[in-house]
Amino acid sequence: MADQPPESAWRLPVPGAVQAGRESPASPLVDEVVGLFDQLRDRLLRYIVGFGLPVHDAEDIVQEVFLALFRHLQLGRSRHNLRAWAFRVAHNQALKRREQARLGMQPLHDEEAALAGWAQDRNPSPEDQAASSQRRQRVLAVVSALPEQDRRCLMLRAEGLRYREIAEVLDISLGAVSLSLERSLTRLARAAQW
Amino acid sequence: MWFRETHPTDRDLILAADGELSARQVERLRKHLAGCWECRVRAHELEAAIGEFVHLHRRNLDPLLPPPSGRRAWLKAQLEELASSQPSSWHRPVAWRRWIAVAASACILAVAGLMVPHSWTSRRQPAMSAGFVPISFPATELTPGVARAKTRDQVCGSNAGKNRDVPAALRRKVFELYGMPAADPKAYEVDYLITPALGGADDIGNLWPQSYSATIWNARVKDALEDRLHELVCRGDLDLPTAQQEIATDWIAAYKKYFHTDKPVN
Repeated sequence: MADQPPESAWRLPVPGAVQAGRESPASPLVDEVVGLFDQLRDRLLRYIVGFGLPVHDAEDIVQEVFLALFRHLQLGRSRHNLRAWAFRVAHNQALKRREQARLGMQPLHDEEAALAGWAQDRNPSPEDQAASSQRRQRVLAVVSALPEQDRRCLMLRAEGLRYREIAEVLDISLGAVSLSLERSLTRLARAAQW
Repeated sequence: MWFRETHPTDRDLILAADGELSARQVERLRKHLAGCWECRVRAHELEAAIGEFVHLHRRNLDPLLPPPSGRRAWLKAQLEELASSQPSSWHRPVAWRRWIAVAASACILAVAGLMVPHSWTSRRQPAMSAGFVPISFPATELTPGVARAKTRDQVCGSNAGKNRDVPAALRRKVFELYGMPAADPKAYEVDYLITPALGGADDIGNLWPQSYSATIWNARVKDALEDRLHELVCRGDLDLPTAQQEIATDWIAAYKKYFHTDKPVN
């Protein structure tokens, strides 16, 4: 292979006229779904990670949610409350993925570990480190002890969903959402007073 | 609902804070709170509990979230591909429209080809007619390599580390980014720099067009290295971050190192 150029010469120079981020024309539906991805991606990821799934699995699920949303809209199906629709699909996918993990088909972060990670303050200021550590432990203890449905309600409310949307995602009544949030917040408020 | 002499419950206060009460109920509660310190304090305690929870929820989960750009580009490419293959119920009319669109695009491309500025043609056309500059490495500015998995367990599980097909629309985008929009897709593998089997991410910053045959250091040789590194990592003979770093910075050097050879093994 004597006529081969040196390896360093094989790196293709980046063409100045073709820059990263150059967009090709897309259909309005593609733009709409990508716009919804921009709005909801972080909220969905946080919610799914709360199931104890690794972040990259959560990213896969979010991807699946928006592909499913695209097909849903492409088929002309209901546009009623797409935010709740996306969370419902994410919720079901996360449950399914967690079940697969429990059957040994995929790795799973222990849910307790995920909650511990959730309650870990990553950037404490020196002065409030001790106090916030105790408070975190109390909040963690309360959140860990909540029934799963209560925890889901709390997480969904923290992501900005209204009661009606939470009821839709979890397939429970409005009254059950209200009761669940009351139970959780009463416990959290009590923990803060210890 | 509550009156002057009876107090609102926690649920009433939470519903009010969440905007889930009617205007009439809100007004009634407001009047009660104006005269009741005890309930005002309780409302404040519940608000503080919400604040505490939300603060921890956001502050501690947000740092775990990877930047959205790679997945966003990936999603967009997949959606564009789906958009070009319409649902079956629309198949017939759309098939005609697609043929017309394809024909129109071909005409536009042909005309555009005649109108491309000289500076473009002079830089790229000779390479095209000569069968391209052989590529054995990606452009680091476009493809720095992106990893998502950090531990051996994440890439050595039974269902971990499977390579996925790169959507056609994303393959086209990679060719565009590399200034090769007319490249023959059969001659190039749009390859992961850090393969998913080694924890590489579905991210456009982890993809590049690698020739199947233009040099001896081609896509098939790199595939062999990927298998070798995966085997070493899962056997515990090599740590994952080292494997990712070596394949991302100079995969040919890594090949020579792990196959103990200066040229590809047949």
